[in-house]
Amino acid sequence: MATGLQQKNFQKVLIANRGEIAVRVIRTLKEMNIKSVAIYSQADRNSLHVRMADEAVCIGPARSAQSYLNIDAVITAAKITGADAIHPGYGFLSENEEFAAAVEQAGLTFIGPSAQTISMLGVKSTAREIAVKAGVAVTPGSDGVVGKNYHALARKIGFPLMIKAALGGGGKGMRACLQEEDLDRMMTTAKAEARANFGDDRMYFEKLILNPRHIEVQVAADNYGNVVAFAERDCSLQRRHQKLVEESPSPFVDAKTRTQLQEAACKVVKAAKYCGVGTVEFLMAPTKEFYFMEVNTRLQVEHPVTEEVCGQDLVKLQIQIAQGEKLPLSQKEAAVINCHAIEHRINAEDSEHNFAPCPGTVTEWIPAGGLGVRVDSHVYSGYAIPTYYDSLIAKLIVTAPDRARLLARSRRTLGEFVVGGVKTTIPFHQKIVANPDFISGNTDTGLIERMIKQEKEHESEK
Amino acid sequence: MDTKLIKEVTDWMKTTDLAEFCYENNGDSIEIKTQEALPEPAQFACSLTAVTAPTVGIYHAADKGQNLTLTEGQPVEQGAALGVVETVSKKHKITAPVAGKLRVVSAQEGAPVEFGLPLFFIEPQEH
Repeated sequence: MATGLQQKNFQKVLIANRGEIAVRVIRTLKEMNIKSVAIYSQADRNSLHVRMADEAVCIGPARSAQSYLNIDAVITAAKITGADAIHPGYGFLSENEEFAAAVEQAGLTFIGPSAQTISMLGVKSTAREIAVKAGVAVTPGSDGVVGKNYHALARKIGFPLMIKAALGGGGKGMRACLQEEDLDRMMTTAKAEARANFGDDRMYFEKLILNPRHIEVQVAADNYGNVVAFAERDCSLQRRHQKLVEESPSPFVDAKTRTQLQEAACKVVKAAKYCGVGTVEFLMAPTKEFYFMEVNTRLQVEHPVTEEVCGQDLVKLQIQIAQGEKLPLSQKEAAVINCHAIEHRINAEDSEHNFAPCPGTVTEWIPAGGLGVRVDSHVYSGYAIPTYYDSLIAKLIVTAPDRARLLARSRRTLGEFVVGGVKTTIPFHQKIVANPDFISGNTDTGLIERMIKQEKEHESEK
Repeated sequence: MDTKLIKEVTDWMKTTDLAEFCYENNGDSIEIKTQEALPEPAQFACSLTAVTAPTVGIYHAADKGQNLTLTEGQPVEQGAALGVVETVSKKHKITAPVAGKLRVVSAQEGAPVEFGLPLFFIEPQEH
């Protein structure tokens, strides 16, 4: 948003994404009376977002590199259809500074922070520096990219430590190193992975916090320096750094810590001169001390959890900010906790066989319903899941006045959700909501792996 | 044709759950299908070669700054210029994949096209 003080009203918005998030964005556009343009690859001709949008343009073949990641094609589609703005969704080009810059250059508005902000916060070591300057605690680490003297640096930080790629994400180019003897080997493999995935093998170190929680704070900031932070999301339930279940508020966070989290998130956002909707991620130790990890400069998969808790439409908020409007809510309104919410990510994966992707045709589709249930999905009966993209087929978001009733409702809804024709992660979610540690709120980022390990041990005992 | 053989095979097939049977011996062949056999897929035979848009963009009947006149019925050489699809940053050249006769011209000057949209159909030259 280079032209901050100009107010404009979008007439037509192109969604540079697919799947459930494209459907999600179209829904808000309809409510705001803004026309929507869907883009799709040849593999997504029958996707729901194509049907729901006012217009749809085929921009390339199935492979993402030639379609959803093809900046030239996406912007051309926006120009041809006369869109004023582009919503990037999550994944694909959502955190690509080159794309954000190209959108603005084409005379369109990028619904998200500026290219400069994306680039600054995208380099994790720079993001850490910003947090440190803002007075927000970060995990002790190398304070920047490590050079050849990494052994001395690692000793200074102390083991165990994490080796992370400067441009990393999604757990790629990341290694836990428990002792110095493993350091060289771990560096080599992490660097190779980072090179392969991000084309960049600059690495940095961070102290490894044992049994941490992943706590993140949703924020929104406008062009006029106003920033608000919402109640935290607890995303500790992850498998291989991929989130499976997210809930808000966190059963571990008390009111005092919540305020501290929100203040810390606002400080980082202000220091980065951030404009838009984003997420500040923290790692929380069992002592409730928390450390800044990174800022996600996009709408996140788990944003509905926050929407349910605070009663706000975050996509609408993104659009209002991009239109140059002032934040329509105060910190007090943003931080309101109306209910307890949880999201179960339903993937077309076989959770009994190492979560292998299970594309295929959905022969039967009976989503859960009833009080306190929201299903965000692009799936319908007869929909063929393409093999080219991620395996998320639905997000089941459940709400209740308190956590005990929430878990009862989660169990009920997971039980009534029927997906025929493909394997899904629903059975695994049922195990999660039956897990004593999860029920008591005693979770950390290692819980899922421990559950899987226990299950395997049980099987081998039989 | 050995009708006895056919009867034997059909009787035998009824005792199995086979839906199709093919047999070939010394140039003789029989093929038997029951009602359960899958219908033959419809064969759309089309002798025309489609030339589709290589990207989303605006079509221009031009090559190297010269306007092209493309009319149905005109002969084209393989590799002949058939115009460009212009995106915000590039011009994607369209060329004839085969030599033949331009049979259908659906591309219109200045019109927006999506990826994969047929712009021309060429009747390939007989060899």
